[in-house]
Amino acid sequence: MAFPNVRLASRPLHFIYLCDCSGSMQAQGKIQSLNQAIRQSLPGMAAVAHDNPEARVLVRAVRFADRAAWHIPTPTPVEELEWVDLRAGGVTAMGEALELLAAELRSPPMEQRALPPVLVLISDGQPTDDFEAGLAALMAEPWARRAVRLAIAMGHDADGEVLQRFIGSDLSRGSAGGALPPGEVPGASGEMPRHGPGRSPRRPLQAANATTLARYIQWASTAVVGAASSSASRLADAAASQEAVPLPDLPPTELDPLDEPDPLKW
Amino acid sequence: MAWILPLATSHRFAGIDAPVRIVRGLGGGSQGQVFEVVVGEEALALKWYFPTFLRRDPGLAERLAESIRRGSPNGDFLWPLALLRPTGSEATTLGGAASGFGYLMPLRPAGFQGAVEHAAGRLTISLQNVLRSAFFLARGFHALHSLGLCYKDVSLGNVFLDAGRGRILIGDNDNVEVSGRGGGAVVGTWGFMAPEVALGRSRPDGGSDLFSLAVLLFHLLTRHDPFKGALERAIPCLDLPARRRLYAEEPLFVFDPRDDRNRPDSIEHAAALLTWPLYPRALQQQFERTFGPGLSDSRSRTLTGQWCQQLAATLDQRRLCPNCAEENLLDVRLSGLCRSCGAPLPPPMRLRTAAGLVAVAAGNELHPHHFDVLLAEDLDHPLARMVAHPRRPHLLGLENLSPHSWTLTLQEGQAIAVAPGETGSLAQAATLTTPDGEVTIERPGEPSVAASPR
Repeated sequence: MAFPNVRLASRPLHFIYLCDCSGSMQAQGKIQSLNQAIRQSLPGMAAVAHDNPEARVLVRAVRFADRAAWHIPTPTPVEELEWVDLRAGGVTAMGEALELLAAELRSPPMEQRALPPVLVLISDGQPTDDFEAGLAALMAEPWARRAVRLAIAMGHDADGEVLQRFIGSDLSRGSAGGALPPGEVPGASGEMPRHGPGRSPRRPLQAANATTLARYIQWASTAVVGAASSSASRLADAAASQEAVPLPDLPPTELDPLDEPDPLKW
Repeated sequence: MAWILPLATSHRFAGIDAPVRIVRGLGGGSQGQVFEVVVGEEALALKWYFPTFLRRDPGLAERLAESIRRGSPNGDFLWPLALLRPTGSEATTLGGAASGFGYLMPLRPAGFQGAVEHAAGRLTISLQNVLRSAFFLARGFHALHSLGLCYKDVSLGNVFLDAGRGRILIGDNDNVEVSGRGGGAVVGTWGFMAPEVALGRSRPDGGSDLFSLAVLLFHLLTRHDPFKGALERAIPCLDLPARRRLYAEEPLFVFDPRDDRNRPDSIEHAAALLTWPLYPRALQQQFERTFGPGLSDSRSRTLTGQWCQQLAATLDQRRLCPNCAEENLLDVRLSGLCRSCGAPLPPPMRLRTAAGLVAVAAGNELHPHHFDVLLAEDLDHPLARMVAHPRRPHLLGLENLSPHSWTLTLQEGQAIAVAPGETGSLAQAATLTTPDGEVTIERPGEPSVAASPR
């Protein structure tokens, strides 16, 4: 006497890290912080995946230094994922990393039907190869254009412009369509700030220290995964949004350099 | 996870005498985090909001205070108990969280799991308990709507199931508001929102709740989404614009009786094709109506009371296959074939009461509403339950769950007293006399009593 052994139909949700492993990531334990932040975020990510039967969350990672390579090549269910530590050394072949990614976002190997992929680029420096060619190859893929693209800048040597180009233009700002100039605090015009002063998930996230990095990684792997699978409650002010995936509020970061004048441990 | 309240510490809050000890974090979302706390001797749950969310929902504190004053609509809600604001002296110990507030609610009792476990096929549950859960869910919304309130954010994530008892609990009651007031930041969850809310044409209210409730009931009863069929399969990337089309701009029910363009796929949507045929037409028609004319006209949506009536009536049709014991739902006067093994199902023995006609099957119950046509359907106080003889599983009896003694009259005329807690065999029974009313035992092939079922 039992209900039929069936389950809700699901779609894959590809979550892909692109991790800068250049030599500078060795300084001040940055690469260790990144390994730690990703490892710590996995149980929370698995919990979100568990609560979203409509999504099969599959994780992969690309590392890039002198060359780019798949660090975790197989799309792995998050609950089965064991994070292998990244090691730093070399230059910053970010363009090649984007090309590797582009090849995997082509259909096939991409499934015909999926949820919007989530791509998280983490870097502390500037690309040393042909970033433009990599970005062009990536953005030629429909799955990349439909993906949620996030970028985390570790420290202040990261190339904010390059990271912003990976994300695309910041659509979340202003009702008249114009993005605010970089650094301008929204709300000065009396408008309610959507993501708190100076921060937006459509801009590179400044992780000035290990705590902030961990919070952003946790946010990307939980709240953003929930948004990409549309399982989160919807807010009235987002109802008119034209974004393909409306992004959740950023986590509170007391140590955000824009919130606090005295910064920077690395 | 990074918790916004310090764990394993005690704090003073305005509005509550005893200190509140934060025991552990239970979970978090985009609005805030939930903690297990101890207040005095009592273990409770505390939801604490992120400051970013509070800025978006300025009416939240007043709304919660009103809900707390009013009290829970019935026992099936994890209802807010008290609003907590830190006292001035806690400003330093609570750090950034001190500028916010939270509310206390009961902890989810052991035995209840998220309804997503059911949707994901990760729990075992009987068809009877699925129907009971659906009934209690509809009844909870009935109680809430009767107070003039609406829930607004119905989804699988806000409901908990006790699969072994067929009970539910409704959580996340912080969006509850007087229907039609249109405040609050949260408007719903994709896939559950009524089209007019998803399109931004109106704010959630009692009418949109009826749509969302039907979606949730459909999920519970079928483990499928009412709008995911061929049209969903044609969408490569299910992002927000695609969902808006599927659920709001051009919604088409997968089992729409007049339009078959969105039928479930035999492989990808197999759940719907297996489970939908389990249910009687009268129940299916409620979905066809709510997801048909009800898409654009909220007055065409099945009301909470109608759901309660239909779901209770469906439970009365439950019978067990004599060959494989599988649960089947069929008109009690008809024969059919078992959905599982295909064996013939002869019309069952049935119990006729002043306001009901119930198939005889182990586990089926008689309730007060079966005896009085004026009583609302209620499964909380069963008067009788059909149970098998401890050593002869094919011999069914009626267990007296009422506080009164019954008289069972056998076909030969002999009368037997059945005290509370005792079970009288139905094998030779003709009628049962109870203070609640008369029960006639009808056997297939015998002429049916003239009285019509409710």
